[in-house]
Amino acid sequence: MNIIALFKIVPDDTLIKISGNSLDLNVPNKISTYDKNAIEEAIRIKEKHGGKAYGITAGITDRKTIREALAMGLDEVISIDMKEMDVMTTAEAIAEEVNQIKPNIILAGESTTDSSGGVLPSYLAAILNYPIVSYAKSISIEGDKVKVERNLTTLTEIVEAPMPAVISVVGEINTPRIPTVRQILESAKKPVRSLTFNKTPKVKIVSISPYVIQRKKIIIEGKMEEAVDKLLSYLRGEGVL
Amino acid sequence: MKVVIYSEDPEIIKAGASYFPKEYIIGITTREVKYADELYLVDKIDEEFISNFITSLKPDVVLVGNSKRDKTIAGYVAGLLKVPIIPEVMDLEGNKAKRVVYSGMGIAEIEFSYPAVIIIGRKEVQVKEKEKIKINKLEVKEGRVKILEEKSKGEQGVNLSTAEIIVSVGRGIGSKENVKYAEDLANALGAALGGSRPVTAELGWLPEDRQIGLSGNKVKPKLYIALGISGQPQHLAGIKDAKIIVAVNKDKNAPIAENADYTIVGDAIEFCKIMSEKVKNK
Repeated sequence: MNIIALFKIVPDDTLIKISGNSLDLNVPNKISTYDKNAIEEAIRIKEKHGGKAYGITAGITDRKTIREALAMGLDEVISIDMKEMDVMTTAEAIAEEVNQIKPNIILAGESTTDSSGGVLPSYLAAILNYPIVSYAKSISIEGDKVKVERNLTTLTEIVEAPMPAVISVVGEINTPRIPTVRQILESAKKPVRSLTFNKTPKVKIVSISPYVIQRKKIIIEGKMEEAVDKLLSYLRGEGVL
Repeated sequence: MKVVIYSEDPEIIKAGASYFPKEYIIGITTREVKYADELYLVDKIDEEFISNFITSLKPDVVLVGNSKRDKTIAGYVAGLLKVPIIPEVMDLEGNKAKRVVYSGMGIAEIEFSYPAVIIIGRKEVQVKEKEKIKINKLEVKEGRVKILEEKSKGEQGVNLSTAEIIVSVGRGIGSKENVKYAEDLANALGAALGGSRPVTAELGWLPEDRQIGLSGNKVKPKLYIALGISGQPQHLAGIKDAKIIVAVNKDKNAPIAENADYTIVGDAIEFCKIMSEKVKNK
């Protein structure tokens, strides 16, 4: 069984700060939150069913972060350096590599923390002509089919799809493991295949500005009884109560 | 331009039509609405089948809603058409769009070329109703992904997206049992009860359909009370449109305080008890 986990290296969203009229993106990188769940799930499937677990990352190709993915248990990472990218060019770049590996399953996070679009998995599935199963909260493999519990907003759906398939996972599917020191050391020996993909995307980001709504930021301290009275008078003044 | 709008939510047809008032609009949705020239009604959803159908219409622009299933279809359609896709657009004019990035911290201005697939949200707009509408039934057939079972998550009737007041709980409320204090407060205020991602999706203290944030419900109440919510970017992105935000948190340096109008420094449960009493006795 060949499994591919897609992951994206992004500026840590919990550390991004707004400074004046710009976003300070000069913060440490990380594996995008739900992509870690995809890596974890790929490793679990490999541990249960055997085979090889690949990782493909596109965009920022920070070596330290790639090593973290390898330390978690991926066997090999394909690192695609892309200076400019949109969903379309990213999917095209990944598809070229997928066609060489011929996987049974491709796993991806439900969305990334930088662009938060959540559409790459189904875009990729379409150009590969694989079925797409999105928002998986559990995955089991039965013969040549995959059975997935989908976590939709108001309902849960259990579906079955033939492999190869693209599956996007939600954060609830597992708890990503933390590599041991030994695994981190060993990860240095694992193969990373680096390549570049240059194609001008049709979607261009012209500018990024901070999304702030000015709040009053009034702090109310002291005894709760009095604090609530103060709050109530503020809220009545605002006309919201 | 041939404009196709798809969503399982009929309201999206109206929002989509508002961006292209002069064009011929083909709508695909679950219920009859008057904002398309031609309408295809579906009674079930197979993502692959619907994507193939949209593609067969050879559209110049496809607008799709932002539910989880809608987004899956949007990506698949864009891939089938091999055209660019712009997710979660909040503003669209010609070939320019605005969208939220970095977990709600930033707004990106984007330029793109048609044909394209664009994901949009609900919008309060005035749209002229069409007089002549051609209505077709679309018989949806199952594709490669077969549905074996469907389970509703229950808890009907709470509509966070239209609630005027929302009381919302985070991990700081302490335990599943403590959620009842927030529920009492919500009842006293006539508010809907929601929660952060950890509380709904991870800990299960509230059903998942109550999740507020970028990956759950985006809300716009006039009053939002955040109890024991630290204020992760993904949560803040879901409450940006609230008129007034009140936070109750033990830590006055929590990120939520920077993003709230009023922050009470203290215990959320004590707050709920006192606030409920005072609201009831007013």
